[in-house]
Amino acid sequence: MRRLILPLTLVSAFGATGALADESAPHCGANTGEAATGEPIKIGGIHGNAAPGDFSSSTDAAAAYFSCVNANGGIHGRPIEYLVENDQWNPELAGQAASKLLVDEAVVAMVGNGSFLEMAVNAGTYKDADMMVMASACAVSECFESSNIVSTNQGPLGSNVGVIQYMQEELGVQSVACISLAIPNVGTWSCDAVTGYMEENGGTAQSVFLNPAAPDVNSAMLEAIATGADTMLVNLPAGLATAVLKAAEEQDLRDAYKWAAPTTLYDLSVPAALGEYWDGHIYVNAELAPFTDGGDDNQNWIKVMDGFANADDPRDTFSQSGYLSAKFFVETLLKMDAGDVGDREKVNAAITGISGYASDLMCGPYYVGEADFHYPNHAGHVVLIKDGSFEVVRDCFEYNSAYFDPHIAIETTLGLR
Amino acid sequence: MTLNRSILLSTVLYVIAISAVIAVLGHGKPAKVISLFAVSGLATGALYALGGIGLVVLYRATGVLNIAYGAMGAAAAMFAWQLGQWGIIPPLTWVCGIALALVLSLTYGRGIAPRLAFQPPVVKAVATLGAALIILGGVNFFWVDDVRKFSLPTDTIGIQILGLRVTATRLIVLLTAIAVVIVIQSYLKHSIRGLQMRSIANDRALSALLGIPILRVETLAWGISGLLAGFTGLLFGDLIRLEPTVITFMVIPAIAAAICGRLENLWLVLIGGLSIGLIESLMTLSPLFKSIRPVTPFAIAVLAMLWMQRGTRLIFDEEK
Repeated sequence: MRRLILPLTLVSAFGATGALADESAPHCGANTGEAATGEPIKIGGIHGNAAPGDFSSSTDAAAAYFSCVNANGGIHGRPIEYLVENDQWNPELAGQAASKLLVDEAVVAMVGNGSFLEMAVNAGTYKDADMMVMASACAVSECFESSNIVSTNQGPLGSNVGVIQYMQEELGVQSVACISLAIPNVGTWSCDAVTGYMEENGGTAQSVFLNPAAPDVNSAMLEAIATGADTMLVNLPAGLATAVLKAAEEQDLRDAYKWAAPTTLYDLSVPAALGEYWDGHIYVNAELAPFTDGGDDNQNWIKVMDGFANADDPRDTFSQSGYLSAKFFVETLLKMDAGDVGDREKVNAAITGISGYASDLMCGPYYVGEADFHYPNHAGHVVLIKDGSFEVVRDCFEYNSAYFDPHIAIETTLGLR
Repeated sequence: MTLNRSILLSTVLYVIAISAVIAVLGHGKPAKVISLFAVSGLATGALYALGGIGLVVLYRATGVLNIAYGAMGAAAAMFAWQLGQWGIIPPLTWVCGIALALVLSLTYGRGIAPRLAFQPPVVKAVATLGAALIILGGVNFFWVDDVRKFSLPTDTIGIQILGLRVTATRLIVLLTAIAVVIVIQSYLKHSIRGLQMRSIANDRALSALLGIPILRVETLAWGISGLLAGFTGLLFGDLIRLEPTVITFMVIPAIAAAICGRLENLWLVLIGGLSIGLIESLMTLSPLFKSIRPVTPFAIAVLAMLWMQRGTRLIFDEEK
């Protein structure tokens, strides 16, 4: 029933803050106002949508933006044909989806991918195909530590480090229990980075891993308590995080600890689901601009979603990042010669050459470049769950972790600093 | 005399085994920490036991191991949550949720189960697996992945047991499980309808020849099971997670608990469910075993079967 509820929630939230922009149409691509009629350019995208999670909002938003572009002149008059596959959290299907798009459909680029596992399965495939994937909803290490994937979102590593950095600097956090799923390239990877950050700054952190197949989260909560930490970092998907927080509420632990979460809890349905008990007590990282931000791109994202997406498509962080990847992709293609935009090799060379793109949705520049790792978005915001919504407590700030030193070195080389 | 000696031996071995498990898994940990995990595990185990009891009640009356039990509970929990979102007063949402599970159970029990009545027990069980997948598919269709929370007023009331705050909801689960065992045991043993249920489970054809109203008795059993499924689903959604898939697959530890009672002894089902919850929780304390927590229900069920089947009949072979 989220299909009915979420958009209404979003509209009311924006309406209440007066953040809804005027009635003018969104700005997309060449913005000619005329529909593209030429030969379609095939673009692919893969998302994961099956129990226990739906990552389709990134491709939903990319699809909406491409539809808007097609209604506004397309790419040099050619419309984008966006082909989206669902990996259903199945590694075999993820591999088949990539093969279908890259080989059978011969797409010229991959944009807006969002999945828990697709990137881990297909990173090698993309490298072999020399395809630079402009992903949007990444969660696994392979998405950020491989040569042919670049994402507009931060994933759990950056998101966790960001919120813990804020809490360490502002609230004097000394020790953290990082509650995460026992998945090496998600939970272990991101919690290790938190441990690294805390140790670099004179604190400690311990990881508490939750078996994804075990229904009972109470034990994980108790294990986290046993670490003696002063801060609980609930590094879990929103549904599971809600269950952990409910277990904590049952034990009335709210005031005994400080509470933090990555951007998975930055969802407009979360404050109401958690209830008044947690009001003003959970700090959450926002990887991209807050939903209520008045920036041009954030407002354009809302207009694009309202005008070209389905009413029941979620408006969340992954939706923002899907929009952003699609926008950067279109900007890149519009700079190319009209005769080259259907050429996979030239398109991917152009994507690899992206440097210094800016948007109010991101705190820093977006770039790609040739490297064995890509992590352009490593600065963000922190919000506090408050009054049934989110209150921004810190605007754009860069994450000071040694993990990002190689990325900063590349940005310096590219002249972005 | 021999029976009493066997029960005594089993009890002694059970106590020794549980003590050994607690000692091994809790080795080096403060007693207070072990207590916290033990109380938490028992609370979860009570839910498994309640699920197992619902399964056994139906199995004893109809010979059907209802794998759709969890899915019916999931539908009940999601429906109750949805009604709450629409502003319906909470008690009515709970009743409607349980009523939905009752309807689903009766629909299967009257519409499909009689057509499979003369199939082997395994076929009947697999058919309910199909029903489980259909119900789960429907629930996932109506309620896509989202953040939800289902609460009961009893969540706010609690008492401290060994340092852990145990809510009234968890106590209700445990007390309900015990009460249901007592009531159902008594009903099956002392009432005419209970006798008829046992008769049908033993030999459906012969029971029909004796004039037992088969459909009426089986409908009653499906109804009781449906009510328990709905009740268990609501509590599972509240205490564990309001996620259809998670609630659907709570049938797995519930089946394990039922098997601990050989699909007939409700007291053993209760003990089995509590043991599964206890050991599953204590395994969190062990770095070595915590990653294999989900194995707990199967491991305990297998051990229980191995112990109980010595020299006796097979569980799934009654109709041969």
